[in-house]
Amino acid sequence: MTDAIAVHDAQLRFGQTVALEGVSVSVPQGTCFGIVGESGSGKTTLMRAMLGLQRLDAGEIRILGTPLQQGRAALTRRARIVQPIFQDPAASLSPRSRIRTLMNEVGTVLKEPHAATHERLLVILKRLGLPDSVIDKYPHEISGGQARRVAIARALLMKPSILIADEPTAGLDVSVQGDLLNLLQDIRRAQNITLVVISHNLAVVRLIAENAVVMRAGKVVEIGEVGALFGAPREAYTKELLAAWPSVTHAASV
Amino acid sequence: MAISLRNLSVDYSLPIGTAHALRDVSLDIQKGEMLGLVGESGSGKSTVAFALMGLLANNARVTSGTATIEGRRFDLTRPNATAPLRGRGMAMIFQDPMLSLNPVFTIGTQLIEVLRRRSPASDRKTRMAQAEDALAKVKLGNPKQRMEQYPHELSGGMRQRVVIAMALLSEPALLIADEPTTALDVTVEAQIMREIIGLRDRIGCAVLLITHSLGLVTEHCDRIAVLYAGERLESGSVRDVQRQPGHPYTRMLFDCEVPIDRERHADAAQNRFTVIAGELPDPRRRPPGCIFNGRCDVSFEDCAKVVPGDYPVAGNAAHAARCLRLVTP
Repeated sequence: MTDAIAVHDAQLRFGQTVALEGVSVSVPQGTCFGIVGESGSGKTTLMRAMLGLQRLDAGEIRILGTPLQQGRAALTRRARIVQPIFQDPAASLSPRSRIRTLMNEVGTVLKEPHAATHERLLVILKRLGLPDSVIDKYPHEISGGQARRVAIARALLMKPSILIADEPTAGLDVSVQGDLLNLLQDIRRAQNITLVVISHNLAVVRLIAENAVVMRAGKVVEIGEVGALFGAPREAYTKELLAAWPSVTHAASV
Repeated sequence: MAISLRNLSVDYSLPIGTAHALRDVSLDIQKGEMLGLVGESGSGKSTVAFALMGLLANNARVTSGTATIEGRRFDLTRPNATAPLRGRGMAMIFQDPMLSLNPVFTIGTQLIEVLRRRSPASDRKTRMAQAEDALAKVKLGNPKQRMEQYPHELSGGMRQRVVIAMALLSEPALLIADEPTTALDVTVEAQIMREIIGLRDRIGCAVLLITHSLGLVTEHCDRIAVLYAGERLESGSVRDVQRQPGHPYTRMLFDCEVPIDRERHADAAQNRFTVIAGELPDPRRRPPGCIFNGRCDVSFEDCAKVVPGDYPVAGNAAHAARCLRLVTP
């Protein structure tokens, strides 16, 4: 089967700074893929490149076998296949429009009557545990957790086959972050969506992704199946990351 | 006892009414010890730090509370109660180091200012040497060159090291670190925690670590206090609390943490994350009975009526939790 996303030898420089160097990753359809790394590792740049928001100096990205093209028409076409969930939900929500307006725009892109979009939206909101009343609110009137769900609802409304989530739980309390992660897992299984999760939280990636890549300074440090990557890392940097992670040990071993 | 905080209550007056941010919170920290104060958003953990430092916003009011620091007692309900201790007896590390650093002065100038305030008699040359020495102690490379630099020339981790150096120079009895590593990468986080522990061991101060990360607390703290919706629900040694949480909230909080060694299950449906269902109570109206009642998974009839006290867990006087189950046969 064709990979959902295939990045081949991506190269990118911002002036003197190496943003991506020889990055190759492939994400099989229907799986969850994790991208981990620290600030400046290139993980968000890689995400932006996958979304076609960042041109590469060299290399190729294929989405479901089709080479990624630049330009407005290509971007609109791609939006039906790949949808982002940005770290800051405000990046997807205009402060001046009600949630309803934002969702209607999705219908416009899909050339779907507003009534049909609205009907699908109600189903998605229910699934995400959001009250119908959020659609008449402005972004500042809802909580941070709700804003994240609204951003996910907007992404799902596009009927994408690939979701790319950048730090989906950053800034959320530990008691509610699990809720969002469970939700992403459920959606992915129910709709056979390919999920790419960018996170600095190694423990979370280990649990939700089948495969992951560890990045540092724009390069791939280590890539593979999570069991091997986290259970028996080969690279010193991967080991260092794992050792530095402040983790609660099992109560039994205390 | 280096630090003893008793019955701290703080209200915020808001357009929608008076929010009770803290209710009768008491904490004790021994010299050379690190206490981890954990809690989620809205628990009031940062309000504890601000009340101690006298940095509360204008709409906040301390309605009760005393702090005993190195034998001196301070009535926290009085404005600027702890002002004599700021910069000498107490130091604070914020999540954002730029809250402690002035962007228009060099690192050297700011470090020397701390020394000038602390020991006015010493001369500039001695202070320069002491400041450089402090930068070296917190493992900031090229201290001589750093003294001439401005904060914007340094990375986030380096700035946090400068703030720790400032705290080191002021030799406080109490160091308050409010989410000191939240904005940093994990490898830098580990280094910064090492420097904070190094500082504590060097000057033997008490450390109040305010964090949402149970991982940091179990790795670095001696004792833990759990705050929820403005109330301290549990306190004890990290070991005791982790082994046998006395409060259901503490147990659920630990369950929500994903251990790094938890392996992925082949059956995707098994890879679930734990969640605490429900929401925080309205800070304006405390519900009757236990504050956690609405979200508790083991509550019973009395929990909605009787306000629990602090009861010892497993007969251990140093480990207390605010749960009726501990006194119900």
